[in-house]
Order: sequence, then C-alpha cells, then structure tokens
Amino acid sequence: MSEFGYIPEAPEQSFGNNKGIFTPKDIYDLTRADKYTNYGQLDHLITTNVSSNVSTVNFTGLETYGNYNVFLLTLNDITIEHDNKLIGMEFLSNGVASSTNYQVAGQSCMSNGSFNEIKGTSYPALRLTDNIGNATNECANSYVYIYNNLDSTKYSFITYHGLFQSNSNVQGSEFGSGVLPTTRFDNGLRLHPDQNGSSNFTGGNFSLYGIKEYS
Amino acid sequence: MGLVQVATNTVTSAVSSVTLTGINSDDVYMVALNNVQPASDGAYLRMRFTVSASADTSSNYDRATKELRADTTFGNSAQTNADGFNFIENGTNTSETHNNIMYLYNFNNASEYSFATFEETSFMYSETLRGRNGGGVLTETQATDGVNYFFSSGNIASGTFTLYKVI
Repeated sequence: MSEFGYIPEAPEQSFGNNKGIFTPKDIYDLTRADKYTNYGQLDHLITTNVSSNVSTVNFTGLETYGNYNVFLLTLNDITIEHDNKLIGMEFLSNGVASSTNYQVAGQSCMSNGSFNEIKGTSYPALRLTDNIGNATNECANSYVYIYNNLDSTKYSFITYHGLFQSNSNVQGSEFGSGVLPTTRFDNGLRLHPDQNGSSNFTGGNFSLYGIKEYS
Repeated sequence: MGLVQVATNTVTSAVSSVTLTGINSDDVYMVALNNVQPASDGAYLRMRFTVSASADTSSNYDRATKELRADTTFGNSAQTNADGFNFIENGTNTSETHNNIMYLYNFNNASEYSFATFEETSFMYSETLRGRNGGGVLTETQATDGVNYFFSSGNIASGTFTLYKVI
C-alpha cells in the first residue's frame, strides 16, 4: 500500500497517469498533492457580487486556495457611484498595500477615434479601465491575468483588457500591462472604483480564478 | 471557459529551449508563460511552432504587435518572413522576466495557417515595464502540434511554460 493508501503501491501516481483502485480518501489526498488527474485547470476561487455601495473589493489569503503562478480576474458589469472614474487595483501583502509606485503601460482606444497611450512609472495603483461614467448603461468589464504575485522573490505583473462606456457614453477599451516592482508576497488584491481618489462600487461581479498547472 | 492541461515544463536549471506539444484537436489552445528569464542579459525570448514535435525553422513567421512602454512613447513592433517570433529583451536581475498569455488557433488544421495572439508583460534589462500585445501567424498550410521557446542568445534560466486546451 502506498503512502496515500491506494493499492497497489506502484506505479507512482501523477497528473495524467493514475492507475489502481482509489478510495475517496485516496482521491482527496492525491488531489491535494497534485498527483490526481482532475481535468479542468481553470479553478474558480471566489466571486464577489456587489449590489450596494462598497468603497473597495478585496480578495485576500490567495495562497490558501493553492500555489497558483497565474490568476485570472474578471470584472463584469461594474458600476460606480460617481462619474468619470477609472478602476484601479493594488496588491496586498497580508493585507498591507504597497507604498511603492506601480509601473503601467496601456493603450486606450475610444470609438470616437481618440487613442491614448497610458504610461507611467509612479502610479498609485494599477489600472484596469479608462474613465467610465455613472449613467444608465455606463459600466465597465475587464479581464486581468496576474503573474507571480505569490512568489516573494519576484515582482507581481498583470496584463489586462478592459471594455467600458465612458462618462459621455462613448464606447472604449483599454489593454496593457502593469507591475509592482517590489519583491513581495502579494497574497491579496484590492479593487478601487477610482484609481486616483475615492468613490464606491455600486454593482457588478468580480470573480477570481486560479490557472492550475501540474508539474 | 475551461482549461485542460496538455503539457508543462518548469525550468529551474538552464536549458537551451522548451518545447510543449500535444495539440491534436481543432480546439483553441492557450499557453501561460510566467517568470521566464534568460541566462544572458539583454536576450529576448523567441517562439516557433512545432511540426511533429520539431520546431519549424522556416522564414514564414509574420508578427504585428503594439509595444507598450511605461517610461516612453509606445512603438509598433512587426516582422515578416522571420524565422520565429521575437519578444521583449529581458535581463538577469531580479524579476527581469517575461510573462505572457497566448492563444493558439488553427494549429491542428492542415489546410490553414497557424495563428497566435500575444499578451506579454515583461520587465526589461533596463528595469522598466514593457508589454507587447498583438498576434502572429506561420504562413504555411500545415498542421502544427506545439510551441518551442528559446532565447536569442544563451539559455533559459528559469520559467514555467504550460500548454492548455480551451474547452
């Protein structure tokens, strides 16, 4: 019998190569050890639904969900209390925000023909959209890939692509990159309804997924 | 959307290249690269597609990307009839790494070109943020079954390369 209890002991179990007869406990133990074949490597971790005013949306303790190298964050139908606000995101290390400046490089594209380079090395937070409005149908949607944030020896990076209606009901999108150039254990995310100030989220869904890999 | 892991390789000691294969259906595939770093300062990551698990080294790769720069004006980065795709120059200092999500299209279809989109975020050897967003194509009507990565000079020092099928 193996250390996991399955019979026979050999061969050693691994993702994509499981042989033997397994009890539910074997499956549980092997899954926790990343040695059991579970197809579906996009793991839904948390969803926060906003239906009344909140000043931030926080995801913390990300390491407790697994040691993911890459996360996917989706923002769906996000509305903000005040006009002309853009959604920002900070990394949290055990709940503590960084005082270090973020570097950002994004391309803003507006359907009225206005295209702008969004760039800087001293942003107060990462940005996930350009300015959006607060009238009916003026909302934001975005997806964000987050890299290396649980690795305390590496910087935390993102790529993002947002889609929104501006404060004058002009369709826009923005895509780009960001980095917190500090080696920290960033096990949390804080979403702000205004990268440069304060407001409230009034609605929408924020979902975080882990992209699993079996070594 | 769901993902099924097809292949992965985590580099912890230097290797000259990484190849991920196993594309055998008409589904869209995704590659996640994280913490990919060169052994030689200033080297840039390169990518080729594989045919029967061997890199296609022909000069039939075309690419068009927008280069996003945190510290200066953005640029256009494009190539035609190249022998692979080029990405941002990285370095050997802490976190001068390459991270990227790529989607792969039409690889299994022998009568179509093979396409990829790129969504790169990198820290350059000059300690600034760079991104390249765009796409590329291998203009050969053939089935391709994977991807091959290497640096413009020297070895791959570290990184995790994972290929998924999108379901």
